[in-house]
Amino acid sequence: MPRIAGIDIPADKRIVIGLTYVYGIGKALSQKILKALNIEENIRAKDLHEDQLSVLGAYIEKNFTIEGQLRRQEMQNIVRMKSIGCYRGMRHKLGLPVRGQRTRTNARTRKGRKKTVAGKKSVKELG
Amino acid sequence: MSRSVKKGPYIDSKLLKKVLKQKEKGVSEFIKTWARSCTIVPEFVSHTFLVHNGKIFHKLFITDDMVGHKLGEFSLTRTFKAHGGVKKKETPHG
Repeated sequence: MPRIAGIDIPADKRIVIGLTYVYGIGKALSQKILKALNIEENIRAKDLHEDQLSVLGAYIEKNFTIEGQLRRQEMQNIVRMKSIGCYRGMRHKLGLPVRGQRTRTNARTRKGRKKTVAGKKSVKELG
Repeated sequence: MSRSVKKGPYIDSKLLKKVLKQKEKGVSEFIKTWARSCTIVPEFVSHTFLVHNGKIFHKLFITDDMVGHKLGEFSLTRTFKAHGGVKKKETPHG
């Protein structure tokens, strides 16, 4: 299994798809990278040359924030927003959706599992 | 949709003028403002604003970290007073 950009190991999938296993690289960016380096998208990762791999790795590390560094950056942004007390920071603190989604229903990803409230209209109707 | 980059950030010109005036004089008084949509620019740093939320003015001291946000982000317009925790005794309904 070839290694690209440090820790990540794409399988014997096409290289476009393989690159998306790196945190911070999606399909669009993957395509862009391969185009810039003139590497055929449809080659399997295992069929790539050694030097092609090293060029890929070097290019990615030089130009993009990926993996741990990206995760850290994201965390820092959230911590910053919490500390200055802006609206988005508040939402992060409260564990509610940050981008203006509705919370009357849904929003279960942020709010966690349903907590049933006795006496709420929908509950009464069922009872 | 986000604002066009071409236009640059939206800054309330009157507010900026007020801030610059204070800078010139070297004083830093509270500035009452309703311009919640005004972006915080580096000139605002270390000034204190009173940002209206529709009802009251929230005091807001600008720090470096706040640059690029808008004034309104720091003055919440809604009040939420937590849901009752443990269920109270049920009141009889008619």
